[in-house]
Formats: sequence, C-alpha cells, structure tokens
Amino acid sequence: MSQISPLNLVYQKGKFGDFENKNEKNLLKISELTNILIFQIVKFKNSTYDIDKIQIDNLFLPNSLQVSSNLDTRILWFGPNNWLVVSSKLDLLSKEEKKFDEQNFALTDLSHSKIIIEIEGNLTNEVLKKGCPLNIDNFKEGNNANSIYNGITITIDCISDSPKKVRIFGLRSFGESLYHSITDASMEYGYIII
Amino acid sequence: MLNIKCPHCGDRSQKEFAYGGDGTVKRPELNKDVSDKDWDNFVYLRKSPRGKHIELWHHIAGCRQWFRVLRDTVTHEIYKTSKIDEDI
Repeated sequence: MSQISPLNLVYQKGKFGDFENKNEKNLLKISELTNILIFQIVKFKNSTYDIDKIQIDNLFLPNSLQVSSNLDTRILWFGPNNWLVVSSKLDLLSKEEKKFDEQNFALTDLSHSKIIIEIEGNLTNEVLKKGCPLNIDNFKEGNNANSIYNGITITIDCISDSPKKVRIFGLRSFGESLYHSITDASMEYGYIII
Repeated sequence: MLNIKCPHCGDRSQKEFAYGGDGTVKRPELNKDVSDKDWDNFVYLRKSPRGKHIELWHHIAGCRQWFRVLRDTVTHEIYKTSKIDEDI
C-alpha cells in the first residue's frame, strides 16, 4: 500500500524565510521522512520476560531516554516497557515479529499514523526551544524524549550533534499544524525545504 | 509553572503533565460489600489541605505513566515523587 504524505497539500520545496544574503550552508534544512517503517513494541505489565534476550536488526532495546541505532534502524525508548522502532527496512516487522510472543508483547504498526520531520543545522536547537519546554541544550546524540511543541505531543530523536540533526515525530493528524509550527519558528533563520 | 521530576524521565515542565487529584484515595476492595457512605466518600470526598499533599500526576506528553507527587499546596514546592507502585 502506498503512503500519502500528511503534508501532501502543504509541502513545497525551496528556500523560505529570511534566507537572503546568508550562506546556504548555515540555513536550516527541513524535510519530511516518508516510506519508513514505524512500529511500537509494548511489553505487558505482568510479563516477566527478559528483554535483554531480544535484538531487533542486531540492536538491543534501549534504556530510558536512549536510542539504539544502526544505519537502517533506530529503536527509541518510548516509556517504561515501551519502544518505537523506526526503520528504512520495510520488511523488518514481518521478519522480527516471531521474536515477540503474544503472551508478553503487543506489536503495532504505526507507519501510517505518524509524521516525521527532520531538521538539520546549527540553529536546530533554537527552533526547538521556541515551542518545546525541554532543556534542549542537554539533549545530545543518542537521546530521545517525548514532549510537546506548541501544545502538540511530539517525540524528539537526536540523530547527530555535528551537524545538529533531529527528527520530530508527531501524530499524522497534527502533521500540518506541527509542520507550520516548525517552519514559522524557522522563518527568522531562513530555511530550505528539501 | 512547576518543574516536576517524573520518576521515569527526570525533570520536566508542568506543560507535559496532567493533574490527577488526591493520591491517597483508595478504591473500596472489589467483590466486597460497600456501604453507600464508603462509596460516596470514595467518589466525592476529597481533602483540601493547606500544606503537604500527596497527589497523582500523569506524564501525559512524556512516558504516559501515572506517579505520585508530594507537593506543598502553599509554596508549590515539590518534596518527592515516586512511581505509582512505590510508597512516597
């Protein structure tokens, strides 16, 4: 099944905001990630299953506020006994679901219910600070956190520190509002939609 | 604005939380006869102390967990937080 972007009607490539007379390398780069597999793993409260036995795409399930990752897949801690797997391997869920028995785990495919916006650039933290109450400066590569951005529930995944690059996950139904919030906050710095 | 230390996520802004009321209320035991008065007390009767108060909070925009907070209702100082299955 093909995926229709939640930003289908508003996403437009180009340069926007206050970009004139600025070095293109210093502009923020904003993009939407599509065609990516997202699924949630929940371990039931009464389960005593040892999660250290489980690996997904050769990655262990991370501890609180951490991310485990390789080139294709990132596993985000989403809460106690709750993880979000994001992967460019679209068949990963069907390959790995045998590891999770129904007595202990629930797997849910969320690929069509999330929006992912990626922001790259030295001013990324400033954009996040405008709408998110997290202490963003302490937020480093390999960290992730659930929070809010202008009242919209989001998950922030810090991909790299240099250059600063983060992914913001939101619910698909809030996609346009989240996108507008982020692009509005980026106006004064100038940004490129890629 | 309060800063609340979620037992799972650490210090976060109050914006991420939802207040859940008095944290000392206990539901009458299941499968036992409950008098109308006990049920009425459980549903409606709440303390409104001036000073230290144990409250329930929900980290609704974070880890989605309920937990207990010991807070001063006068100064808003938060003394302690604990997971829902731990004593405060």
